[in-house]
Amino acid sequence: MQKKHIVLGLTSLLFGGASCTNLDEKVYSELVADNYYKNRTEVMTAVLRPFTHANAWASPTGQVGYWRVSELSGDQLAWPQKGIHGFDGGQWIRLHNHTWTVDDDVVWNPWRLMYWGLGFCNSTIGDLQKVDFTKIGMTEADKVSIIAETKVLRAWHYLRLMDLYGNIPIVTEVGVPAQPKVAPRKEVWEFIEKEIRENVEQLQPLGPSMAGRVSKAAGYAMLSELYLNAQKWAGVTKWDECVAVCNKIINGEGGSLKGAAPALETDIMKPFNNVNHNSPENLFQIAYNFTLGKFRFGWNGDLWHYEQRQAYNATERGNNGIVVIPTAFDAFADNDLRKKQWMLIDTLKKHPSVRASEADSVVMATEEYKNKPLVFVKEIRRNSEGETGAGGMTRGEENSGARFSKYLPGAKDDAEYWNNDFVLYRLAEIILNKAEAIMRKNGGAANAEAVALVNSVRQRAFKSTDWPSAAYTTATLTLDELLAERGREFIFEGKRRQDLIRFGKFTTATWWDHAATSAKAELFPIPGRQIRLNPNLEQHEGYK
Amino acid sequence: MNTASTFSRRVGWMSVLLALLCSVAFSQSRTIRGKVTDARDNTPLPGVTVKIVNATTGTVTGADGAYSISVPSASSRLEFSFIGYETLTLPAGASGTLDVGLPLSSKNLEDVVVVGYGTLKKKEITNAVTSLRPENFNAGVARSPLDLIQGKVPGLSITRANGTNPNGGATFQMRGITSLNGSQEPLIVIDGVPGGNLDLLQQEDIASVDVLRDGSAAAIYGTRGNGGVILITTKKGRGGAPQFNLATFVQRDYVAKKPRFLTADEFRKIAPNADEGGNTDVYDMLLNKDNLSQYYTLSATGGNEKSNYRAAVYYNKGEGIAKRNYRDQYGGRINVNQTGVNGRLVLQSNLSVNFNKADLLGGNNGDFEQAVQRNPTSPLMKDGKYVNPNGFNVYNPIARLEQELYYRDQQTLQGDAKLSFEVIKDLRASVFGGITRNTYNDRQFRTKDSKSSVDSYEGRGYAYKGNYLSLDKTLDVTLDYFKRIDKHQVTAVAGYSYFNSTYETFNMNNSGFLTDGFQDWNMGNGLFLREGKAGMGSYKAEHSLVAFFARANYAFNDKYFAQAIFRYEGSTRFGKDNKWAKFPSISAGWNLHEEHFIKSTGWVDQLKLRVGYGETGNSGFANYNSLTLMSTGGAYPLDGRYPETVGLSRNPNPRLGWETKSEWNFGLDFSLFNNRLGGSFDVYRRTTGALLGNYDVPLPSNVNDKMWYNLGSIRNKGFEIVLNAVPVQKRNFTYSTDITFNRQNNTMTKISGPGYRIEMLTFGGLPSPGNLGPAIRVVEGSALGNFYGKRFAGFTAEGDFLFYKKDGSTGKAGDIKEEDLSVIGNGVPKMMISWNNNLRYKNWDLTMFWRGKLGVDLLNLQDMYFGNRSWLPNNLLKVALTKHAQVKVPPQYSDYYLEPGGFVKLDNVTIGYKFPVKSGVIRQLRAYVSGRNLATITKYSGLDPELQDNGMTTGIDNRGFYPRTRSFTVGINLGF
Repeated sequence: MQKKHIVLGLTSLLFGGASCTNLDEKVYSELVADNYYKNRTEVMTAVLRPFTHANAWASPTGQVGYWRVSELSGDQLAWPQKGIHGFDGGQWIRLHNHTWTVDDDVVWNPWRLMYWGLGFCNSTIGDLQKVDFTKIGMTEADKVSIIAETKVLRAWHYLRLMDLYGNIPIVTEVGVPAQPKVAPRKEVWEFIEKEIRENVEQLQPLGPSMAGRVSKAAGYAMLSELYLNAQKWAGVTKWDECVAVCNKIINGEGGSLKGAAPALETDIMKPFNNVNHNSPENLFQIAYNFTLGKFRFGWNGDLWHYEQRQAYNATERGNNGIVVIPTAFDAFADNDLRKKQWMLIDTLKKHPSVRASEADSVVMATEEYKNKPLVFVKEIRRNSEGETGAGGMTRGEENSGARFSKYLPGAKDDAEYWNNDFVLYRLAEIILNKAEAIMRKNGGAANAEAVALVNSVRQRAFKSTDWPSAAYTTATLTLDELLAERGREFIFEGKRRQDLIRFGKFTTATWWDHAATSAKAELFPIPGRQIRLNPNLEQHEGYK
Repeated sequence: MNTASTFSRRVGWMSVLLALLCSVAFSQSRTIRGKVTDARDNTPLPGVTVKIVNATTGTVTGADGAYSISVPSASSRLEFSFIGYETLTLPAGASGTLDVGLPLSSKNLEDVVVVGYGTLKKKEITNAVTSLRPENFNAGVARSPLDLIQGKVPGLSITRANGTNPNGGATFQMRGITSLNGSQEPLIVIDGVPGGNLDLLQQEDIASVDVLRDGSAAAIYGTRGNGGVILITTKKGRGGAPQFNLATFVQRDYVAKKPRFLTADEFRKIAPNADEGGNTDVYDMLLNKDNLSQYYTLSATGGNEKSNYRAAVYYNKGEGIAKRNYRDQYGGRINVNQTGVNGRLVLQSNLSVNFNKADLLGGNNGDFEQAVQRNPTSPLMKDGKYVNPNGFNVYNPIARLEQELYYRDQQTLQGDAKLSFEVIKDLRASVFGGITRNTYNDRQFRTKDSKSSVDSYEGRGYAYKGNYLSLDKTLDVTLDYFKRIDKHQVTAVAGYSYFNSTYETFNMNNSGFLTDGFQDWNMGNGLFLREGKAGMGSYKAEHSLVAFFARANYAFNDKYFAQAIFRYEGSTRFGKDNKWAKFPSISAGWNLHEEHFIKSTGWVDQLKLRVGYGETGNSGFANYNSLTLMSTGGAYPLDGRYPETVGLSRNPNPRLGWETKSEWNFGLDFSLFNNRLGGSFDVYRRTTGALLGNYDVPLPSNVNDKMWYNLGSIRNKGFEIVLNAVPVQKRNFTYSTDITFNRQNNTMTKISGPGYRIEMLTFGGLPSPGNLGPAIRVVEGSALGNFYGKRFAGFTAEGDFLFYKKDGSTGKAGDIKEEDLSVIGNGVPKMMISWNNNLRYKNWDLTMFWRGKLGVDLLNLQDMYFGNRSWLPNNLLKVALTKHAQVKVPPQYSDYYLEPGGFVKLDNVTIGYKFPVKSGVIRQLRAYVSGRNLATITKYSGLDPELQDNGMTTGIDNRGFYPRTRSFTVGINLGF
């Protein structure tokens, strides 16, 4: 009897166990897409994801994205080798010399990051179209506005991609088609214009609650850039359209962060300080809040010397990477406040709070000048070895080149410490865009209106006593001068490559140790690894 | 009347036979009494079968090894047989007493080999399986249980990249690399529990280690079989007189080779500007020269043939050569077995625990990097406070040891039980359940003035606590069948297996404490929590495997053997459209020595041919890779708050599956001249396919640029030789030796699909500063582990590097283009060799063990960075001024820094003495002295050529390191 029971027991265990064949994965700490979009917060956190992602590519926060390749391929900023530091496989030197290859990270990573952000937009648009907003406590109007915002944000990703790569695939749905074809640049330009035009009027006007979001003002600013570069990008001139959208912004039709219409700051540090989400000059920015969101515009890695934090009483370290090219430093007049305030040169002083004593006022160097004061010099050359001359990309030292000081985080005990937003469009750019469109329509010559526009931006960079000699006139404001002035105004803002290309200088001009290159460098190639995965991608001429 | 008393199928079957035998009544003539003992140590052997030759009468020995049997006459012959021992046939004799000492089976052909879900006799094995018993283990002391078999299993590479760090682990790899991103190590099964934790094993507790090297054997483990399987069986209780065994040792480590960096005086001379007036040797200060490791274990066995037990406890303090670098552990293991219901019901259970406390602060690779590169004139302290220098990648490692804490308190437990019942004759049903539970608490603390606190926490101190808990559950239900009819023998097992694994973590950190005095014991006190700057996190993941499996072995006339295995297995990790995998294997063996034409030679004891083909898989990769998951990506303003934003974190892959492997193995086992010369030879060819990777996908239209999918294949092929010989076998002197050798190569045969390809896989990214890119590149058709880079051509007059270009001309680093680069070396050893020598003279024994890896290039990053004058104002290696004096520019990666890395080490010398004991209490007493890592023969100029050579990142001698040591041990084993 006993035997039988055991046999029965074992048999039932065997078969009882056999029914246990469930292989569904149980998720605890991750979100599964099927269950998302259940309320407004869930919807909005998905809508906002591409904005935080743009931190990775649009701003100088440590990745090879749009910002780095736009600045480091131009005539203002470089990442030179500094002794054992900064060679980084030679990639910054190749970027500076326009000798990148199809498999270089400087070619691949901006593509990767921007199409990734664009994929977030596609995914959100596709998902939200299926959500019944009334069931989750939102309205149809919310839906229209949110989808419009995401579409314009997507168009901005396309704008940036087209700027770097020219002919690119246009994809509006996740996974479809599996291996997309490239569209000619003109077609991409037309798609972007159509998308923004169709949606810009559904966007919310800019206001304090839209800081960091795609408002009407942001949409117009994108159009302003699109029209200003239309000749280069689409082979059509759109000067009147450019002036028209610039006027909409200037007139306040897109809204403003403060007041009825955007306004230029008089203090040139204000668009960039740690409360710049309030600045009436700013139109579109990546909104960071370190205090409340622990999400910070971390430019320290790219732009600070290892010990530069001591100058601010900040806690973050730098990698001593990107510096100002000597010729770009010299492009500022000595009495230009932008030179004094946006750049660091000479001895780096400690913040009073980190001084051990009155005498302890200087930040000490750590590499070539170890145990000596850290003194930034404008040259990029081996001064410690007695080198003279222009220097070069492999000749840097720890103190070479003027440094970045346009954005300052505040001290670590400041309530707004690291709360700076990274500005993507500000009124100064719109004003200079309008001036340029007027000049170009006028055969490249300035008229009184153009001069007034440019001077309105430039004037605040000079003391009133210096201004009479610094002000432009219709005689002095040439296109070359406008390019130089844009360089001075927008240095560090990730716009230089586009400007140099639009002015025809990117591959033809020489600066510092950089020689003229070939026309193909105006576009980055389609990354080799994508071509190998997708035979429908056709490589640009010159890179085949 | 006795019945056999063991759980094993075979003995179970024998018990039936015995029961039959014993039930036959026969006439009394005379009675022989005696005791059967183990010839090695005279311990009684219970359960030995004693039978009269050419009769049906027999008995088995009792718990004390005693037996009595009636024999027809004094000329009757008695046969004594027991598994694992030689079978002896002796005349009964006239005295009425016959004590017998059974020697261990030298042939081992009757040895039981654990093959997963059961055992087979060695002679029945048709696969590439290595079976090791304690007498085969490496002599002396093991840091980890698998050190016992290092160099003993052909094709198994065991590498300790962190030397003798008591808190460092080893990596294992069988027959080369089989996975890019999945698990690469063999599956470890402890007493039937897969994924067993090695912390639970103590050297003295291990009864056997069986290694399934090829796919035809490993197929029974399905999706966990690709890396091979290591089956560890712990010692079990056995009936008989109660026994105690005590083992203890003490050990000290000494630095084997100190890096030759510049002294303070030498540094001053070449870098007067950087002279800070001091004179420190931080390397020396980081060492714990008084380190002493100790170990004690006591085990007890007893019981009778029906109920028996073994219990063991241990204490171990392992101190590393570095300061703040120890592991203090204790624990125990209990095994209880019981047989009932007339021998038909068997319960076997094990419980083992390990408690350990580890100081994880010291022994840090980065500390020793600092020790080499730190300015030796820079004082460590100033005005009674530690100086923490500013600058890139420099810190004060002595200050770190004084100002920080990092402890781990860990408990690991494995419990398992198997209940087995003989349902009908020849058929047993079993249920096996096991759990492994691993949990630890980490605590960290950094004082306010520590560098970490000053740099990252506003100088307000830092405290951290983290917990980890993992729980693995296994349930196997099996049916075993055994039948022998005439010359035909069938052994079969079929079953169902369920495995479930979860782990969870919780951690928190805070800062801004009132006082350093709280350390991490008053976490809530830190102001960072109130200021919103404290951190907290938790995570949980789970996965399961479900399988149905069967194995059948057929033998004809003990001459011809065949085996078939099938496993059908599913994993939660697989995509929803691809949940179940099939793994078949088939193998055969031919015992040629049973054939007359071999038998007639008279000098061939064994000659066996084997052939096997098996398919296995690999599901050893991260959870949730097939799902559409969303994850957070930074906070963004919404209605005045800052919620984390959420987006797709991966491209889903509903077809995500297992990695596959198919493997052919041909083998030959032989034993000649009365077992004085034996060995085996195996040749294999395996293809691992559907290699899982987070590979590139078209972007757009995917959201992410990568997706986890199956692509590509690796081929490994090679051969393995084991030779063992007993050149001298005299009464007072024996010399035995064995050699293990293998050669293998690994090729990336495919990384492409229809219409698309992945150009290259890269590994070994060279560190900052310089970020010179990946050192290792694998492309379709290339060997794994290829160093790919520039070819050194000389120096310019200014001391700049010159490299060869494709066209044969030379240029500086800036002139070298992608097309100029080529394969410049390979970091995967092509050959492994070991040579063991055992000498015994009277009571003395001596073991010398040599071990080596050959056919490998090493990238000397210490020379590349520290052996370069541009590393100033940090300290340099002396070679910067001698061997590399010509280099006047920052480092460039090229074959200039590659060196031949083959080596042979005198890994272990042990001298032991077995005291002749006459005492009635003490059974045996042996003392020994052991030395480890005594000498290295190599051309490599760096500290130690034994570097990480498992996995895809191989042969790179990193800047940071753990000091290499030489260890000396004194130990005693006492039995009573």
